[in-house]
Amino acid sequence: MCFKNLPIDFDESGRAFLKEAIPDPYNQRDIVASPPPQLDRGKIEELLARNGYIQSKDYDPVTRVAGALAFHTVCNFKERKVIEARSMATLFRGYEVITMGRDPRDAIFITSRACGVCGGVHSTCSAMATEMAFGICPPPFGIVMRNILLVLDFLYDNPLHLFLLAGPDYSEQVVKQTSPEQLERAATWLCPHSDVHGHRTMADLMRAMNPLTGELYLDALHMTRLTREAYSLIGGKYPHPQTIVPGGLSATVDPYVMNELFLRLQKFFDFSKRVVGVWEDLTAFFYEQDPLYRKVGTRSRNLIDTGIFDHPDVYDARYENAGKWGDKRWATPGVILDGELVTTDLHQINIGIEEFVDHSYYEQWTSTRHEADPAGNPLSRFHPWNEETRPRPEGHNWKERYSWSKSPRWDRQAVEEGCYARLWNTAVGRKMPESRYMTSTGHSLQMKLPRGRLPEMEIEWSVPEDWNAFERNRARAYCIAFHALVALENWEIGMHLLRQGETAISTDFTPPKKGQQLGVGFWGAGRGGLTHHLEIQDGVVANYQILTPSTWNASPQDPWGNPGPYEEAVLNTPLIESTDDPQKFKGIDILRAIRSFDPCMPCTTHVHVSGSDRVITTDVNTCACGVE
Amino acid sequence: MGRTLVGGVGHYHLCDFSVGPALSERLAAEAWPDDVVVEDLSYGPVVVWHRLTDEQPPFERWVLFGATRRDRAPGTITAYRWDGVLPGTEEIQARVAEAVGGTVDLDSLVIIAAALGGAPSQTCVIEIEPLIEEVGERMSAPVERACEQTRALVRSIVAGTSPPLPNAPLGG
Repeated sequence: MCFKNLPIDFDESGRAFLKEAIPDPYNQRDIVASPPPQLDRGKIEELLARNGYIQSKDYDPVTRVAGALAFHTVCNFKERKVIEARSMATLFRGYEVITMGRDPRDAIFITSRACGVCGGVHSTCSAMATEMAFGICPPPFGIVMRNILLVLDFLYDNPLHLFLLAGPDYSEQVVKQTSPEQLERAATWLCPHSDVHGHRTMADLMRAMNPLTGELYLDALHMTRLTREAYSLIGGKYPHPQTIVPGGLSATVDPYVMNELFLRLQKFFDFSKRVVGVWEDLTAFFYEQDPLYRKVGTRSRNLIDTGIFDHPDVYDARYENAGKWGDKRWATPGVILDGELVTTDLHQINIGIEEFVDHSYYEQWTSTRHEADPAGNPLSRFHPWNEETRPRPEGHNWKERYSWSKSPRWDRQAVEEGCYARLWNTAVGRKMPESRYMTSTGHSLQMKLPRGRLPEMEIEWSVPEDWNAFERNRARAYCIAFHALVALENWEIGMHLLRQGETAISTDFTPPKKGQQLGVGFWGAGRGGLTHHLEIQDGVVANYQILTPSTWNASPQDPWGNPGPYEEAVLNTPLIESTDDPQKFKGIDILRAIRSFDPCMPCTTHVHVSGSDRVITTDVNTCACGVE
Repeated sequence: MGRTLVGGVGHYHLCDFSVGPALSERLAAEAWPDDVVVEDLSYGPVVVWHRLTDEQPPFERWVLFGATRRDRAPGTITAYRWDGVLPGTEEIQARVAEAVGGTVDLDSLVIIAAALGGAPSQTCVIEIEPLIEEVGERMSAPVERACEQTRALVRSIVAGTSPPLPNAPLGG
């Protein structure tokens, strides 16, 4: 029994059904929720007017995130805490609406443009939704190469975040401004992993994190080049690949291409050893300086991921079998609530998803297109397969609507996405395929990184006791190793298939021109799990819904007052920064909390369309200024 | 003058904002001296920077052009030799963060390449003020005219027959 809030039960065979005698089972009002304590807006205004030490601090835009994110806070500088937090996605997205009425294969290329980093992630997710709807499946070599292609996407994304976007928050330049006393202590703090990453003291390491000049910053920038090159060998180009099709890839991959891939991939084995060492040391240093750092960005241990990297022996692209092939993914699907894994079943994960628009610039849709999924499981009227995108940029205030992001919830609870959820589910799920390089222990993930210039190394990511900004980044560092090893394992399978003569990389198909077909892509981005829900009617797209990691994380409050993950994390963040002067306040702890999620806003938001489903209005953003 | 890189920067299928790649394509089809390379540089500032660091011998000069909105009259051409003054570290850092996330623009290309090292010592910039920003292939009449004038200007800069360009910060 994985649902506490949704009116769904399961019979002895595990089949889901709606609980009886509930007249309107998905009525929002009937759900009991317990939002964390947050003052109402009236009280906040009263405090702001009365106390000089209570002040609004807005970040618009939040820099070093991809796309447009604004963040509003009210801080109590006397008690050094945040008493109000609002996350605002300030831009629209048009991709879902643009796909309407088109051949579903067009969506592969249109949705790619949702992001300048994760283009191939969206393309693949779209191709998977389409192949499910078409009833086709890639050949084994196609599945394996798709896994490798997407690993390369993540090997671009994760280092970029750790050293170019979030990394500068831990650099000498920033620490000198926000907590200079820590920089002094860093000069004598010896790094336990200096033999791996090469920086003797924490001050040395922080200097290497300096933007534009630091060795780690520049090294990460260099590594993005390797992944782009490797990616282009399969995808044709980056970030918007040209070779992703339903049923596989349209690339020609031979031993020469495989060798070229390997030459680039192998560099990530040593790189990931260094990155893990860097983030282990950074985390240890800050925890030692002040235990309050364990509270920066902390929130409930509620996470979700749809899993990724299909096994060629099991994946058949059929929704009915999603529970089986999901379990055999290298990254196990799963939902974690209060730190406990409650399900790994893709059907349960899917039917537990709902999106709410009570505090977003959208109109509530009223119809229910599908009462059940293709396997007969009940679907909420707020489920993506039932959702419609109806923009309504009105009621621009904190009490009403303040974001273009919707509020996705699982079992009506705010859960967060991140590549670390992938790691966590896999570590505790103990379902990953048998591996030469990785072991899921039930509480950790052990990884054996091959020898490069550095010796072979065994590393182990353990489920953390605390969940906060530092742990997100630390886990993301381990994800680089995890992803590189998944690629290695798939590369070996791919070479074996080539030797067996199994070179087919895609499947022929004829798109259905009549009737209704449903599909869903359960996939992932470098930033966490991703879904594309598709409905085809008489050969064209009748509905399309994209649910990205940052939509989950950046979401505004839900109908029950539960904040979204960024909001909750910031509300729980103590203000440790060394200044008593609100005017000199940089908000580094708040920014560390937000950036630890690796926000990416271009793909989070939706589009305002007037008059037709083809015209995108030019008035597409709503800044945070003036909102009350 | 040693090797020269000539390149446009912009977005495809975005009317006037496509003047950079469109003109690159026209120029690339023409004959050029051996020490001149013409190429569309719309593939991202960091990637272009990586490409520049590969080049042996390095380029000594680049001539860049593209649509840049500065609220001038549509079709206005602003040509200058960049004075090499970089903005503050935070702005550069923000531009790198945008660039690795997919942003493509002329200013960022110049700034990032110069800040990270590897940019040619001489940077000539030709900005064209756009009029239409919408999906499509057509260019407005003023920008189409400016495109032809820019083509001639690029030729004369490369040949060393143009009047000296003023030294100026980005934006002219």
